[in-house]
Amino acid sequence: MDFQYNNNHNEHGRNDQIVSQFLLKTLHIVLESRVPYIRPNGRRGNLSLGSQVRKSDKWFNLALGERPTALDSLNFWHRNLMEPMIIDIILVQEMPGLGQNGSGYGALVETVIERWVVQYEYSRASQSHQSSESYKKTYKKSIILLRSLYTMMRLLPAYRAYRKLSSKGKACGFDIVYKVSSFSAPVTRSEEQVMKPYSFIPVEAQHGRLSVSVKYRESLSDFNLETSASLPPEIITDYVGSPATDPFRAFPDHKVATSFPVREIPPPQRPHSWSSGGPFMYNQSPPAHHSSSGRYDLSSSPTSYDVYGQRTQNYRPPTHHSFDDSPPFSPSPPTYLSSGGNYMQSRLRSETAPVSIPNPLITTPRYLSPNLSDPNRHSLPPMSPRSTRYEVSSHESPSVIRSLKKSEMSRIGDLSSASGSGSANHYSPSHKISRDNKDDSGRFSGLLSSSGSPRIGFSRSSSRLSLQDELDDIDFSCPFIVDDVDTCDSPVSQSGIGVKQGKKSQDAAVGALVRMLRTAPPLRQDSSCCSDHVESQSNTSGLFMSRKTSDALEELKAYTGIKHLILSKSKDTKQQHLYSL
Amino acid sequence: MNCEVCQLKELDVEYFEIGEVLRCILHTIFFHRALGLVRPKDVDLELFEITYVQCGDAELEKKVDEKIDQFIDRVEKHPNKKNQICLSFFEVKNKQATWFTHKVEHLYWEQWYINLNVAQHPKPQSGKSHHSKLVLDPGESASDERNARRATLESSLHEVLFQIIKFVNEKKDHIPPIPNMEGVSFPYEITISSSSDSAFGMDMFKRMLQTGQPTMLS
Repeated sequence: MDFQYNNNHNEHGRNDQIVSQFLLKTLHIVLESRVPYIRPNGRRGNLSLGSQVRKSDKWFNLALGERPTALDSLNFWHRNLMEPMIIDIILVQEMPGLGQNGSGYGALVETVIERWVVQYEYSRASQSHQSSESYKKTYKKSIILLRSLYTMMRLLPAYRAYRKLSSKGKACGFDIVYKVSSFSAPVTRSEEQVMKPYSFIPVEAQHGRLSVSVKYRESLSDFNLETSASLPPEIITDYVGSPATDPFRAFPDHKVATSFPVREIPPPQRPHSWSSGGPFMYNQSPPAHHSSSGRYDLSSSPTSYDVYGQRTQNYRPPTHHSFDDSPPFSPSPPTYLSSGGNYMQSRLRSETAPVSIPNPLITTPRYLSPNLSDPNRHSLPPMSPRSTRYEVSSHESPSVIRSLKKSEMSRIGDLSSASGSGSANHYSPSHKISRDNKDDSGRFSGLLSSSGSPRIGFSRSSSRLSLQDELDDIDFSCPFIVDDVDTCDSPVSQSGIGVKQGKKSQDAAVGALVRMLRTAPPLRQDSSCCSDHVESQSNTSGLFMSRKTSDALEELKAYTGIKHLILSKSKDTKQQHLYSL
Repeated sequence: MNCEVCQLKELDVEYFEIGEVLRCILHTIFFHRALGLVRPKDVDLELFEITYVQCGDAELEKKVDEKIDQFIDRVEKHPNKKNQICLSFFEVKNKQATWFTHKVEHLYWEQWYINLNVAQHPKPQSGKSHHSKLVLDPGESASDERNARRATLESSLHEVLFQIIKFVNEKKDHIPPIPNMEGVSFPYEITISSSSDSAFGMDMFKRMLQTGQPTMLS
């Protein structure tokens, strides 16, 4: 009885594993042959025979190469295997003529050229009177289905567009983006009519069947993809950059532009759908992007929002947010709009491999606390005229000095501690380090990306990659040979271990960062809010030359005064309570 | 185990197009039958806007090219005929060794017939083809005719590839267990025949009963 139960349980687990890996593999196949920038190394190449194939890539005996990070999000998003996965391949073109703003630039037109629907059609009716071989048969048939899918991707008309985009890049005048969701955004009747359907024969699984189907545009000749862009690419020689970008970074070159952005910003409002912007902005001249990108942003299709109310703060979309996100997504929409395409470039670039992060004292991105933007700003609270502000804000705390210290620390805490001051770092890309505690990792990554050192950045990314490998190994602990007796352990228990190890590497990185920042000379000057040492330290730092001991002493007196005031007030209120009783 | 047979749509090809067309079709079939671990390799045809997929096995590529060369030689020797390539997959069953021979049986479980109708003149410069099914319009220039014929062939080749995909997806139950191998997992053989052969039909019969060479490839 137990044996049978275990068998069924194992069978069920295997089936689920196959289904989820099937969805992942399908997504990988579709995207890697439609979106040029999906490959992590940016190249469209064939795997060399000698290269080692990762275990996770061996699924269905089809080695496609390194999986884009975009696909990892699916693990969180697509927990419900019953939901369909709908992949829209969208052609984006700029149509000449007056734009919405009357700016003279063309309007961006997006057309769904392919819609893939991958689904595990669950049906209770197909109960398993089948033998324990069933999941093996499913696996074998899935292998063939995926081969057909891979072949078909190269036979459909959209493949030509993809090849053109891959080879010509910005010069071809269009872009291909994708959108993955669990529901079907409605298309117009005219669009329906031009789309031709094709369905692969479904593969029987334990409790249903795996089906893959597509609707595609038979002819892309209407889009004039053969002609090059109407606007020649322009180079703005005196481009300065937006405040949200790093002005100290070099102007991105084409090579960087075509690499797939590894780290992305999650749209908080869309749990079940994400889309790619790709480096579409590179295809056009920046002035064209200026208004068009903004318009695109605002005129995003409302149907792209999910009807599900589930909040997934941990949600990690694979790509740029520009096209479909609502304004609340970006913390500073005006900034975004003003910089247009170049902003995209530098933002995308900023989210690729770890690069040297500028000295936080010299420049700060907008999303850091504004106090830090001026390095000469005093670390100590302002003079007594402003003391009432602190009084009001901190009247509930038992000690003024403690509250002041706290607020002080919170300003610096953006850099040096993960005390969770909530520095509003929603803007930062949340890295996928572990499968849980994503809030923490999200904030943490925000801290790093804004002000971390290159060393920390590298260690973070390397720890992320190593964890990813671990998780891959756990998920796929043995190559899935159809006719072998599989003895793989359950992935569920092992993934927990991998997560903990990931956490440890996170903590180590946090500790290293804290150590680094604490030992940084300029910051040490800032953190001397306890005025006992002000005298000595104010003489040592060049940044605080204007500060004198007398000023510090005066401020201390102000603090003391406030403290007494508050204490006296609290005594008064206590007495009042006593009298009122 | 039954033997599934797929007769692919007949294609009218010029002499110089044979290689590309055959490579495309054969490799597409192999890609669906090499069910061990593969690293797919995309290959663009030069004459057509079609990309097909190879399973990345160099050995297989070499053997396919050899067979195609053999086919082209045969076409040169036997013009004016319909030519056929048959790709068969079989299982090797070892029968009981008798006292005079060790029998190895090939059980064919799948056969693909690729039918080509090659234009008579093997010279690539020729714009005319007596066996071409296109109606020659005297007003049409030779290049237009060639382009039209090329476009027709391209779309027919597309159809053949779709036909292969449809067949492999419809019929899966007859496939034997996948051995633990990389690349091409099942033994196969490629045979060439022409319509004029008296043994044209005999070839098929022979294959059914073949007890010959233990080698997997012909």
